[in-house]
Amino acid sequence: MEELLGTTGSILQSTIRNATPLIFAALGGLFSEKSGVVNIGLEGLMLIAAFAGVVGSFFTGSALVGLLTALGAGLLFALIHALMCITFEADQIISGTAINLLAIGGTGFLMVTIFGAGGTSPRVTGFGSVAIPLLSDIPVIGAALFDQSLIVYLMYIMVPVVYFTVFRTTFGLRLRATGEAPEAVDTAGVNVQRMRYYGVALSGLLAACGGVYLSMGLLTAFTENMTGGRGFIALAALIFGRWNPIGAAGAALLFGFALAITYRVSGQTIPIEFVQMFPYVLTIIALAFFGGRAIAPAAIGKPYRKE
Amino acid sequence: MSQNGGGGSAFGRIVTGVLGPLVFPVIAIVLSFIIGAVIILATGNNPIAAYASLVEGAVGDPLALGRTLLYTTPLIFTGLAVAVAFRAGLFNIGGEGQIFMGAIAAAWLGVSLGSLGPIAIPLVLAGSLVAGFLWGAIPGVLKAYFGAHEVITTIMLNYVGIYFAYYLANNPLRQKGPIPGTETIDFATRIPTIGAALGRANYGFFLAILAAVVVYLLLWRTRRGFELRAVGLSPGAANYAGMRLGLNTVLALAIGGSLAGLGGGVEILGVYGNMDVPWVSNLGFNGIGVALLGRNHPVGVVLGALLFGALTSGAQEMQFATEVPLELTEVLLAVILLLVTATKLVELIVGKRARALAGARLEEGLGS
Repeated sequence: MEELLGTTGSILQSTIRNATPLIFAALGGLFSEKSGVVNIGLEGLMLIAAFAGVVGSFFTGSALVGLLTALGAGLLFALIHALMCITFEADQIISGTAINLLAIGGTGFLMVTIFGAGGTSPRVTGFGSVAIPLLSDIPVIGAALFDQSLIVYLMYIMVPVVYFTVFRTTFGLRLRATGEAPEAVDTAGVNVQRMRYYGVALSGLLAACGGVYLSMGLLTAFTENMTGGRGFIALAALIFGRWNPIGAAGAALLFGFALAITYRVSGQTIPIEFVQMFPYVLTIIALAFFGGRAIAPAAIGKPYRKE
Repeated sequence: MSQNGGGGSAFGRIVTGVLGPLVFPVIAIVLSFIIGAVIILATGNNPIAAYASLVEGAVGDPLALGRTLLYTTPLIFTGLAVAVAFRAGLFNIGGEGQIFMGAIAAAWLGVSLGSLGPIAIPLVLAGSLVAGFLWGAIPGVLKAYFGAHEVITTIMLNYVGIYFAYYLANNPLRQKGPIPGTETIDFATRIPTIGAALGRANYGFFLAILAAVVVYLLLWRTRRGFELRAVGLSPGAANYAGMRLGLNTVLALAIGGSLAGLGGGVEILGVYGNMDVPWVSNLGFNGIGVALLGRNHPVGVVLGALLFGALTSGAQEMQFATEVPLELTEVLLAVILLLVTATKLVELIVGKRARALAGARLEEGLGS
């Protein structure tokens, strides 16, 4: 019994760790999509931020500087996506795909330029686990929920904050209206393009938190292509969660669980490749059977041109 | 919706008619090379020397040219895979998984039919085509009958396809010895090389050209192709005209998958001879850039693939001669893709009227 509780606790802990980058990226995607801009570049934004964080921490020895570098990089590349989609009216999915390719090529290029070789970066100072007194002593769930990296605690705060921002503030109302009926928002005197820039910029900052957690929370180094499709899984979580922060976080926990068990099941019972493909298969199934008919913001994917 | 503005002479119209479609790609290419030059400068290297060695390494001598053709071949296939789906209004980001399914099918059939010698080659390639077709049909069915968006399902199926291919390569098809990968196919069952002067370039390149011709005939000379394009341009009108949206959705993605799958087969029989674990990556993703650069037209795809192939080929020479990391070309390709649909940017550079002439075709190519 004790062993079972121990296993449950550690799977829960691993689930939360694996869900954290997905939740950040999904919250980021939420801001962008609510404003009417599809951001399939989340994957690339996470990768760029994961790399920038490691570079910042490597040269200063400070994890905090690493986080700030990552946020800056995430913001910068999100703004490139915004510039292309909103100002230059490029196709949003093409631009997002380009951001993803830019992230793979750019981080590969910079790995060689900065660290002298591709593959894995040197180890850096990251955000280790900080146990919260008392709370972390609760049996089973205590360590799982409250003996985590600071970035995980930031995630706990961000889910309700994003919910409140999107559904209970004037900014959130305008953002949602921009994604649903840009003409009406424009008529009401709100600048549609500016609202969309805000949405995409926020998606960059949040995706950066997710990326930095991968390279400086879960690990303490950058590995090429380390996001491994998490940005896309986060988008699926967003759809599955019906564009609601709480729903998206719930879906991300499910996918986080799928990722967590890939590290637990040994290759002896099931071939390792089938274990590795499980999170992706689960994502497809979730989309096909539960998320397919979800209603996206009405004006999503279309550039807004003032008449 | 052509906005000719009334003033254009006949000559002017012909010039813009021919050059119009080139406006977007040329601007994207030129800008990306300028951005690339800035990046090269920032790393303390000379952009002119770097680009000179890039060109030298791409087309400087017959061996370089052969290498360019070698890298171009799979990109034509994956570019066509994206273009066909695009014409039907669908994003096929699943080229990566589709090329793996075609490749593993070829790796398996190439060994098991090896005793047949050269006669096995068309059979093996047919197997790759079918594998890619079936793999491509999955997101088509998920989109048409379950409403799951193909952008996410094709991306997820990339991972599933790659892991599935690796499972086969690591288990039932695994070669003897310590190196993970499938058994090597006998040389009698390989696609022959064109000639020693061109190095490893093989007749797979001509198969890719043939595939481009077939795609052109399919899309513009058959009823099915007309339906696919009609669905892409206006699903509502196509549906009203009695065309079956679901069937056309499945077919567009499955045909795209079959092209990428065939590309995987050609890579195995023409270049690698077996599938190692891990195997090559990014051919599927770069196919998106190739297709967009080529405005989703088979001729454009071949030209786009030649450019991407040449850049990949020249990159090695550039890294050797100037110490600029060869990953620079991946950055250049990404920047091209980033800029190639930027409507307003093009207006800013060439003016509204020229853009309008080029733009009508872009929207056709984007299928929405």
